[in-house]
Amino acid sequence: MVRNKIDGEFLELMLQNGYRNIMLNQAEIDALNVFPVPDGDTGLNMTMTMSGGVENHESSKNVGEMMASFAHGTLFSARGNSGVILSQFINGFAKGSKDMDTMSVSDFAKAMESGVKQAYKSVVRPVEGTMLTVMREATEFLSNNKDSFASFEDCFMSLMPVIRRSLDNTPNLLPVLEEAGVIDSGGAGFLTIVEGMKLALEGEILSDDSKASSSLKPSSKISLLPDNGTLEYGYCTEFILQLIYSDHRADSFNLDEMIATLETFGDSIVAIREDNVVKVHVHTFTPEKVLAYARGFGEFLTLKIENMALQHNESIKENKKKKKHQKYAIATVASGRGIQEYLTGIGADVIISGGQTDNPSTEDFINAFDTLDADYIVVLPNNSNVIMAAKQAAKIYDKADVRVIETRSVAEGYSALSMMNNSVDTVEELIEGMSFGIPNVTTGYITTATRDSSMGGVAVKQGDYIGLDRETIRSSEKSKTDAVMGLLKNLPGIDEKEVLTGFFGNGVAEEEAEALKELIEESFPMLECAFIEGDQPVYDYIFALE
Amino acid sequence: MSKFVIFADSTCDLDKALREKIDVQYTPMNYVIEGKEYVASLDWETHSAKEFYDFMRNGVLIRTTQVPAENYRRDFSKYLEEGLDILYISCSSALSGSVKTAEVVAGELMEKYAGRKVICVDSLNSSLGQGSMVIKASELRAEGKSIDEVADYIKTNRLKYNQFATVASLTYLKRAGRVTASSAFFGNLFSVKPILISDAIGQNYAIKKVKGTMASRKEIVALVKENVENAEDQTLYISHSDALEDAEAIRDMIMSEVPFKDSYINYIAPIVGASVGPGTLGIYFVGKEVTIEGKA
Repeated sequence: MVRNKIDGEFLELMLQNGYRNIMLNQAEIDALNVFPVPDGDTGLNMTMTMSGGVENHESSKNVGEMMASFAHGTLFSARGNSGVILSQFINGFAKGSKDMDTMSVSDFAKAMESGVKQAYKSVVRPVEGTMLTVMREATEFLSNNKDSFASFEDCFMSLMPVIRRSLDNTPNLLPVLEEAGVIDSGGAGFLTIVEGMKLALEGEILSDDSKASSSLKPSSKISLLPDNGTLEYGYCTEFILQLIYSDHRADSFNLDEMIATLETFGDSIVAIREDNVVKVHVHTFTPEKVLAYARGFGEFLTLKIENMALQHNESIKENKKKKKHQKYAIATVASGRGIQEYLTGIGADVIISGGQTDNPSTEDFINAFDTLDADYIVVLPNNSNVIMAAKQAAKIYDKADVRVIETRSVAEGYSALSMMNNSVDTVEELIEGMSFGIPNVTTGYITTATRDSSMGGVAVKQGDYIGLDRETIRSSEKSKTDAVMGLLKNLPGIDEKEVLTGFFGNGVAEEEAEALKELIEESFPMLECAFIEGDQPVYDYIFALE
Repeated sequence: MSKFVIFADSTCDLDKALREKIDVQYTPMNYVIEGKEYVASLDWETHSAKEFYDFMRNGVLIRTTQVPAENYRRDFSKYLEEGLDILYISCSSALSGSVKTAEVVAGELMEKYAGRKVICVDSLNSSLGQGSMVIKASELRAEGKSIDEVADYIKTNRLKYNQFATVASLTYLKRAGRVTASSAFFGNLFSVKPILISDAIGQNYAIKKVKGTMASRKEIVALVKENVENAEDQTLYISHSDALEDAEAIRDMIMSEVPFKDSYINYIAPIVGASVGPGTLGIYFVGKEVTIEGKA
């Protein structure tokens, strides 16, 4: 089939295929990891971002209408730098196609131009050799050649090699990629999405293997509704049930009745019937009752029960107890129970779980903001990959004036919070007081190398303990203690530091941290040291040097 | 013109030799350790400063009492009998109820000793902030000023006595209920040094946080520079709770940058000490009038 024009429904199919393709290839994209620390989540972040569009849009034959709602969905699901850039691109694309009923290749090129423009605008200092470059070069190719394509099929056939070449060229533009011997992961994600769209044009509709888990996620729209439930904690229970008629179990099944019954077991209910399959999501204290009841109608195809206290999104439970009105409230991102509790103890009002390996989405921020009642909310994102999602949330949120202090590590966030004086008259003074010391903070990490590598002249063996700051690896040793001491010795400006605060991770015993503290105080007599049980994953130690 | 006696109390932190030289008296408060009450001597007559602050370092809870009415009666009467008037410059009313008791006793005594004056002035300060006001009062008396003139001078100028203090921990002040600060100051803040002023209504008020010992010293030097007036005509007063080295270090830093005439360092005596804990430094001088009024 040859298409000169596509309508909203077909574009929707293409986007859905793009989403499924990146979902299938998520792991490979994650593996395009620049640092030898396990922080590769680009594939996951981009997939999650796309899922917000796929699952929350309104179908329409009209291209402009469909795209507007698709793009809106991605705004909320966007997470990680790559996810936010992608969502900005999609929103730019939607703006560019606003008045289009159907779309020609030339219209498509125009929408892409608008997408690239917005994607670049969303980044304060755009870096070439990233997804931005790949998007831009693809779009430039389309703009230059839009009149020479006979059809969309023809266009995508020519476009794919262009994107591939652009992607392969990223290491030449960005030295950090070259040194690690990888191509840009965000660019690879973009290629994967476009590839999925091309497959749709060729009639190959990808099956949704992980449909069971992904399509049952409580969607953005649902969890954004005001929560009237009284549930404090409980189990998030999700399943797909096949109705069984052979033994007459399902004969009396009625979806409305099921919902009414589920309401007696719990809340936050979503129940959808498609032919003989029912998808259910419910928060309940008694999942066993839900299961027994559901089995009265059929058999489970999938089943998932999670304790919500352990769930990623802390704000679900925080929603229940809206805090008292404050002039200023602080929202911050951290992982590790110890660090979270410590930050709360020194003035954070809400903690968004997440960090290096688990970037919170824009929606996670908005849900966290909703637990607060404040004139101003100051956000400490504590990770370079989270700053954009925080800023996007700040822009969208309209119930408080949200400001973002661009803290790039939990050490910087801790420092900012420890210097907070919230008795000041203006939010500018508050931010000034918190920001003042940040340039003086050096962040140090100790973790285990996940593979052999070479960074900044330090040769790293898989399994070694490595010490790094925000820029580069400073030590790589067989012993953890050696890695710590090597890191501290090699940190630029260590001689001017007065205070070291160490957060020890969830695999580190308190005795070990104490012994380390003594050793550091011996070797660096000018440093005042304190260690705090951080419980954080990934990093054995996080140091804040001030 | 009647002669008059200048009184302070246990929070003025002036040593014995200086008190004798400028001829001022003090009427004591008490402190309580494990149920036993001791007179809060400015001269460490019961426990030495080291002993006292070691108690605190070891977690012994020390409580304080205000000046008992009987102490005022006893100490003031002695001089009123001799035909002398009394000018009492008290610890800040935001920190101690003593001055209220003193005012009641003063009324009582002025009835009993007709024609005598007992004037109570709230210093709205403590430690060497109050102490340096007492010294000033003595100087004015020596110049021949009357009791009313001296009392008026102190009332008019008391907010020019600046305090910048740092504490090792806000825990003691918080437990004693003698600090005003937003909740953000009270976390378990490692190595954060809050800077406390004596505010316009005499509260200890945390105005800012500084991280690290060096940074806090630099900040205090900057604050002294910013707020001092006519440094060359005055003494820099520093009180400390068993932290003499720190006190000398900050004195040297300030003196090298601000031309004070001279300096005076003394221990923080038991009453203020029990509220602020060991490791506190208080810097006092005359400068810009304090207008900040702290809100929690």
